[in-house]
Amino acid sequence: MKRLTVLSFVLLGAILMSACSSAATRGSSWPGLSADANNAYLANGQYIYAARLSDGSKLWQYPDKAGAQEFFAKPLLTPDGQLIIGSTGTDQGLASLDPATGKEKWPTPFTGAKDRWITSPLVLDNVIYAPNGDGSLYALNLATGELLWSLPIGGPLWGTPVTDGKLIFLTSLDHFLYAIDPRSQKTVWKMNLGGSAADSPALSIDKTTLYVGSFGSKVFAINAADGSLRWTTNTNTWVWSDPAVNNSNVFVADINGQVYSLDASSGKNFWSNIIPDGPITGSPLLTADGVVVATESGSAYSLDHNGKVLWSTSLGGKIYTTPVASGNLVLIAPLGAQYLLYAVNEKDGSMLPWHFDGK
Amino acid sequence: MWDLIILNPFTNVLLWIYNLIGQNFGVAVILFTILIRAITWPLNAQQLKGAKVMQDLQNDKEWLDIQKKYAKDREKLAQEQMRIYQERGINPFASCLPTLIQFPIIIGLYQSITRALAATPLTLLQLARSIYPFMNAAGIIPLNSHFLWMDLGRPEGLPFPGGFTVSFLPYGFPTLAIIVAVTTYLQTKLTLPPSTNPNDQTAAMNSMMSIYMPLFLGWLVLNYASGLAIYFVASNVLGIVQYAMMGRVNWRNLLPGGNRPVPSNARKNK
Repeated sequence: MKRLTVLSFVLLGAILMSACSSAATRGSSWPGLSADANNAYLANGQYIYAARLSDGSKLWQYPDKAGAQEFFAKPLLTPDGQLIIGSTGTDQGLASLDPATGKEKWPTPFTGAKDRWITSPLVLDNVIYAPNGDGSLYALNLATGELLWSLPIGGPLWGTPVTDGKLIFLTSLDHFLYAIDPRSQKTVWKMNLGGSAADSPALSIDKTTLYVGSFGSKVFAINAADGSLRWTTNTNTWVWSDPAVNNSNVFVADINGQVYSLDASSGKNFWSNIIPDGPITGSPLLTADGVVVATESGSAYSLDHNGKVLWSTSLGGKIYTTPVASGNLVLIAPLGAQYLLYAVNEKDGSMLPWHFDGK
Repeated sequence: MWDLIILNPFTNVLLWIYNLIGQNFGVAVILFTILIRAITWPLNAQQLKGAKVMQDLQNDKEWLDIQKKYAKDREKLAQEQMRIYQERGINPFASCLPTLIQFPIIIGLYQSITRALAATPLTLLQLARSIYPFMNAAGIIPLNSHFLWMDLGRPEGLPFPGGFTVSFLPYGFPTLAIIVAVTTYLQTKLTLPPSTNPNDQTAAMNSMMSIYMPLFLGWLVLNYASGLAIYFVASNVLGIVQYAMMGRVNWRNLLPGGNRPVPSNARKNK
């Protein structure tokens, strides 16, 4: 009886403390979403899902049974037909799947990193450039997943790199934007952003200017060739997501929920007070009419080029993930909503009759 | 409400210390633990005092007599116990109340460490919202989580020699888990009060707790952020120091059979 009492106390303590500490190493999902013309690929919790966009049916899930892995990084479709996924579990594996079947393609996943894969990698010239939470950039053979080299950068790397075809640009939580030459495996230049950058930089259409926001409550325009500053603009608070860029404008949102439309050449803000209904951590999605933004309050808004709301829809849950376009659909993956994935029409925001629940 | 009253203030104090000492999170956790221990010192002292009184009562002749006499009459036993409490001015909850008050403080301290470590996007977002405006959150984040050989945001483990792997120890040899288990064992053992009553149920339960708690905390540390393990170690060491300063450390318990109950008459004869 005494032993039972003690064991009960210990068990109660275990439950309580596990609940308290779970956020440190696991839990706290952050969905990642990508799509091609026919299917959506969703990283959510302990699974990667493939959903058919025509009817919302599930094509496959990976792995078959939940393990110690969780998936945050959006699955990356490569030009040679692979789906690269990264996990945050104990093995911190980077794996290649067949998008049609969900079966692994590489002989073994790459497990050489020391921390989580928060973001998806970049593919350039048959090499995968994968930034990891351990602060290193890993270069892997695209076909086999074998490690070619790795480069310690600095703080945790949470943003997908972008490239102008020669240099690789990536942000770090250590406050810097880095330009890496993949041939020499050296840093060509780096730029202090005045705060952490949790997402990617965005390249201008002509690939000469980088636009990036930071926790320093600023948006920077930087010369991609040498890292010199073109302009900087203040925001009200932290910018979490990467900007969306078209020929003339840079669209960016802050975590207070304000959306900015900046002049790409000067940084001047055209929108004075466009604040939908909640914090925004996903990037604005460029559409023919303007942009679509999704808020932590569980809503999506379509804004025209003047910032006027064209439509809005409430999905429930909390939306942290950048909306993704597929044809004339906008795909949205809320966290904690009734369903894992929703599809709305880009033109009017009407919801498709299906909702993907992962089953 | 919890966040407003406990978690956010704790997180900000922890980050303030972190910033003050040159951004070393391991040292910040230790100093923060010392601070919390200092603040809760009066509660601890009161708890120890209450526990000592209750412990002494367990070995009191009159108390033992009524246990025997009214063993089959629960109601009468309760009345007699209340009479003794009243006659001697004992509050049976004197040792429980300080513990209850401390409980949310300990949980808050524990949660503030996990929140400050913010190893995932969602936890970082939560941290950003917890930090007071005057704290310059942008300058503090990301926290330098490296301390000695550890990344405090991840479970600790030293690589096994020769690339050897053990399936149930994915992070390597768990040095810190062993230190946590050993210090927890030492703290529990050293602070067990001596018992003169072989039938003392509290002493028996404490003795079992001294085995289970180290194992439980060691297991917990295997899987969770090592920043928490630093807190456990600091808390255990400070606990021993605190008891020692109050003259309550029982070194005899470390000897084999040292915590075996000693009959009261044998103690008196010494």
